Amino acid sequence: MKKALLYLLSLTLVSMLALAGCSSKKGGTDASPASPGASGSSAPASASANGTPAKLEFWTFNELHQKFFESMAKQWNAAHPDMPIELTATTFPYDDAHNKLLVALQSGKGAPDLADIEISKIGNYLKGDPQLVPLNDIVEPVKDNLVMSRLDNYAKDGKYYGIDYHVGAQVIYYNKEILDQAGVNPDSIVTWDDFEAAGKQVLDKTGKPMTTVETTDQWTFWPMVVQHGSDFLDKDGNVTLNDQANVEVLTYLQKLVKEKIAIAAPGGFHHSEEYYGFMNGGGAAAIWMPMWYMGRFTDYMPDLKGKIVIKPMPVFKQGEMRSSGMGGTGTVITNQSKNQELAKKFLEFAKVSKEGTIEIWKQLGFDPIRTDAWTDPAMSEPNKYTDYFGTGIFTFLDSLKSEIAPTNIKERTPAVSDVIKTKAMFQALNDLKDPKQVLDDAAAGIK
Amino acid sequence: MKWIYSQRLAPYVFVLPFVLSLAVFFAYPVLSTILMSFQEVLPGQTHFIGWTNYRDLWKDDSFYTALWNSTKYTFWTLVVLIPLPLVLAVFLNAKRMKWSSFFRSALFVPTLTSVVVAGIVFRLVFGSLDESVMNTFRHAFGAGTINWLGNRVTGMLVLVILATWRYVGINIVYFLSALQSIPGELYESAEIDGANTWQKFRRITLPLLKPVSIYVITISIYGGYAMFTESFILWSGNRSPNDIGLTMIGLLYRHGIEKNSLGLGSAIGIVLLAFTMVLNVIQLRLFGLFKKED
Amino acid sequence: MRAKRFDTQTLLLVVLFVLLAALALFPFYCLALASLKPSKELLRFGLNIRLQPELLSLDNYTFIFSKGAAKYATWYKNSLVITVVYTAGCMLLSSMVGYGLAMYRFIGRNFIFLCVLLVMMIPVEIIMLPLYKQMIALNLIDSFGGVILPFVVSPLPIFFFRQYASGLPKDFLDAGRIDGCSEYGIFFRIFVPIMTPAFGAMIIVQALASWNSFVWPLIVLSSGEKLTLPIGLSSLVTPYGNNYDILIAGSVLAIVPIMIVFVFFQRYFVSGLTVGGVKG
Repeated sequence: MKKALLYLLSLTLVSMLALAGCSSKKGGTDASPASPGASGSSAPASASANGTPAKLEFWTFNELHQKFFESMAKQWNAAHPDMPIELTATTFPYDDAHNKLLVALQSGKGAPDLADIEISKIGNYLKGDPQLVPLNDIVEPVKDNLVMSRLDNYAKDGKYYGIDYHVGAQVIYYNKEILDQAGVNPDSIVTWDDFEAAGKQVLDKTGKPMTTVETTDQWTFWPMVVQHGSDFLDKDGNVTLNDQANVEVLTYLQKLVKEKIAIAAPGGFHHSEEYYGFMNGGGAAAIWMPMWYMGRFTDYMPDLKGKIVIKPMPVFKQGEMRSSGMGGTGTVITNQSKNQELAKKFLEFAKVSKEGTIEIWKQLGFDPIRTDAWTDPAMSEPNKYTDYFGTGIFTFLDSLKSEIAPTNIKERTPAVSDVIKTKAMFQALNDLKDPKQVLDDAAAGIK
Repeated sequence: MKWIYSQRLAPYVFVLPFVLSLAVFFAYPVLSTILMSFQEVLPGQTHFIGWTNYRDLWKDDSFYTALWNSTKYTFWTLVVLIPLPLVLAVFLNAKRMKWSSFFRSALFVPTLTSVVVAGIVFRLVFGSLDESVMNTFRHAFGAGTINWLGNRVTGMLVLVILATWRYVGINIVYFLSALQSIPGELYESAEIDGANTWQKFRRITLPLLKPVSIYVITISIYGGYAMFTESFILWSGNRSPNDIGLTMIGLLYRHGIEKNSLGLGSAIGIVLLAFTMVLNVIQLRLFGLFKKED
Repeated sequence: MRAKRFDTQTLLLVVLFVLLAALALFPFYCLALASLKPSKELLRFGLNIRLQPELLSLDNYTFIFSKGAAKYATWYKNSLVITVVYTAGCMLLSSMVGYGLAMYRFIGRNFIFLCVLLVMMIPVEIIMLPLYKQMIALNLIDSFGGVILPFVVSPLPIFFFRQYASGLPKDFLDAGRIDGCSEYGIFFRIFVPIMTPAFGAMIIVQALASWNSFVWPLIVLSSGEKLTLPIGLSSLVTPYGNNYDILIAGSVLAIVPIMIVFVFFQRYFVSGLTVGGVKG
């Protein structure tokens, strides 16, 4: 088969050339084999110590993750002169990075050693026989220091396949300036009823909405459901999207919208350009999003610097968890890697060790999954986040340590996200349809 | 080697590159896609499931939504994107036209503008806030603020506007090049016969533009049903509310890629392919394209 | 007085086109303006189209050509190479096929034309996986050859050339034969020159398509140093924040090559300059 095809191909080429005689450029420039990029990540002087460096390829969809891994490769080579690595990292566009990896894994050739997979996409890679390498040997020894619920998201049948960058702890960001105008003290908001009352006060005094809700994304609804004790899917992957807790949360959100305490987020979700401009101009008094949303404040809402305070999420009733782990990206090792053991050791060094996780905060501004790093003095050193939000970020987070509710990420997660984003939120919070009915329809569509 | 120059063999030599390209690059993928549409494709666990994928599609509401959206979009792009560029091309080609070269370039710039960035501009211009450009415009006429990208009618309107903005320049290029193949003598002799501008357009320009118009219509039908990018950038993803911007390729993308059900994705692709193929063959037949003497 | 040179109809036409050009250029104006400002200004207050001279600078462009953004030049170069090779090959091969389909009656003609339409209408998204497997078999993954070869005999220009050629008088074919030209000589010496406007249009359209092509190159290419401009620019947009510094200025510069192609080849559409030879 292969030979016949190659023969046909060369026939094509020859016939083109015979008839044309002017397209000889074709194929000339590209025949040379891939010369692995000698980027800044290649091993420093120490590499010469013991044989040639092993090559590791890493794919991601975020340039910052690429830079992080490149710097960790340098540190690795400094610390392990006996087993140097040469890391080639490449950033691809977000959606397509995932497609590309799927295609390469399914066709058995062309996949890298290490790759980033975003949490909402992981279900696709865990279907059937996962073409990934289990990471239990690097995870289990330090279990007690890791937020294990974050690793469960990348697990199947007791095997862990991915290491996340962050916890993604859910918090609420208040605009202190607007709350002061309305005479509201954020610390007195403990329950969602308090939040509603404070919202009324803000609306009456300032004419501004208390908050915004996403109508084409899931970050408003999901954390509330999880902290209220349920989820979209249960532990076995069954759909629980229309259970009591889900309906209560959605009913509450719809009430906020009807009372004009909350408005639909301009642009539909909290990552739209229209939204950034709106919030930056003091459009609403509060927004709940995970910790990683800090970067959106520092980068796109420069005028709110010093005005934002971070607080735990309100609860429906006392005793419920005040945070949850939202979003995330896991780094995996593929079964096509020729250096699986080394790749594992390097991944442990970069993302599981205490030193590595401290670098994650320093370089990426994420709340790392290793909790014994949170209290390290290095975590309160000044950077652009402490300039914007103050230095107490991790002291605050540490107080929430035991209250981070886990989510269930399963094979059906992409399907659920899809129906939440395109139908349920919009129908309940924009079209104001009956929440119970909306969620029943949504759940029925997933089967 | 003399045989290669024979008149009877020559056409086969001319079409040989296509036949080879088809054999080397497309025969296997197309057959394999047809096969996959009858399979459940899982990593390491692929097996046949008969017509299940097609049956699932048949029962899926979003399939009809997507088909209907794509059909509406195709219809409107045909209505707008054929006559408008044709007329503009005729104007640009007119002798009396000034600065025609500048205007041609200006209308072509949208096709070059990065869709990512153009998407940002369109989303902000058609934003849902009171201050967005189009809502300010509505206020000037005493109308209220609307969520342009939030309902079916205006959502489709914005999609068609975006498509018009992007593609008018390209279709002008097609028509302009075709206009050059019309001999000037035809117009001169018509003028001698006392024909006015409209008559010249009706009697000479339109009929002689027919072959290229057929081409533009065919690729517009195909392009309309294959539309995905415009929807994707307008709603910053495959996530329009209530699926008002979901297209056939969007559905294929959702199942085949986002949910990694390659079998179902392939089935959608085959249905789409069959659909556009049938539409176009009917259309081309109506224009007499498969007749002997054409 | 201007009025002497402009009759009313021309004036109306010009006004119409000025309006249309303004609409067409508006997003590009926003883009070009944003590229001259610090990236944060783009979103700070929603769509910002004021000139604000005090904020304008070439910093973003200097940044693109600095070390920190060295990849940009690589992407640009790769896209240029692929576009030039692809367009040249595509013009030659597709015009041949299109011409053959238009000018000759032969057995299998309609079938081949149907196949052209069929290939044209296959969405790349569905054949991605099998086509990638095919590339593995042909040893073409991660090479420019893998990007170019599958699509170099492209159905869209074949169809266009077929339509264009079928509108041309067939008398030339006989005239050429009488003059003793071979069938290929007739094509290269007589029809290629007559079809110059068609080549002009197709060079523009296909160069543009290749310059913007995204889905397939992304699947085939994987080394960082082989990525193309559209892939590179899209990789700056993520759900977790966009790198607007390179994105905006980079998109402005991305317009340049195809704009040059357009300005150069559009001369073939200028009324009355071509097809001197065509007499009905």
